[in-house]
Amino acid sequence: MQHKGSNRTYPPAPMSPRLSIYRWHIPMIASIAHRASGMALILFVPFYLWVLHGMTGTPEDFDQAVVLLHSPVGRLALWIADIAVVYHFCNGIRFLTLDAGWCESQQMMRLSARIVLFIALLAALFFGWLLW
Amino acid sequence: MVIRKDTGTAHNGLSDWYWQRLSAVLLLVTLPLPFLLLWGVYSGALNQFALLDLLDHFLSRLFHTLLIIAIVVHAYIGLKTILEDYVHPPMLRVLLIGTMLVAMATAGIWWLALVWAWGG
Repeated sequence: MQHKGSNRTYPPAPMSPRLSIYRWHIPMIASIAHRASGMALILFVPFYLWVLHGMTGTPEDFDQAVVLLHSPVGRLALWIADIAVVYHFCNGIRFLTLDAGWCESQQMMRLSARIVLFIALLAALFFGWLLW
Repeated sequence: MVIRKDTGTAHNGLSDWYWQRLSAVLLLVTLPLPFLLLWGVYSGALNQFALLDLLDHFLSRLFHTLLIIAIVVHAYIGLKTILEDYVHPPMLRVLLIGTMLVAMATAGIWWLALVWAWGG
């Protein structure tokens, strides 16, 4: 690739994560799940705003918001968002501890990734039990 | 190593990194709160009077405001990082990041207005 204003050639910039090159391993799954749960939480914001708008409106609006929360769509949204927030919260703490330089060895990173994924699984079961 | 700079990629990685962590710490405290509210209403523990009493409190407005600012900062940097990784054509990337910023700012302002308006 030719860079503007220079006659040097540059290799194309590497794009991460290079899914087709790296072998799948647990910390990588934890990292991608962090992105996925973050996207799920962003998508949950409009839903939350809509429910909040209803809950702070007239008493009829409030009742409708409660009905929406109890509908299959509402329960599914709550379930996904609850799992996402538990996972993103725990793995976020994991990332902050890694930034602080704690538990950075390969074994510890694998272990902590397993732990946060396991907590997310427990959250899925727990909230599933609460909602259905 | 030669770093090739492209339009719409992170020239400001350290600043992004710093704000992402700062907002993350703020969210550790504030993000669970709306989920508690939702569960309170879902379970029937909070009726509308109880909910509005909670939301009307000054601390509630303050926490909500902090939450909204932290979410917009955190979600913007997070999604921007994802777009930078997966969307390769520069023009499309700039367009998507710009659209996202406008959408998030709009949602944030609407949400703030909602938080400060209720209860009168």
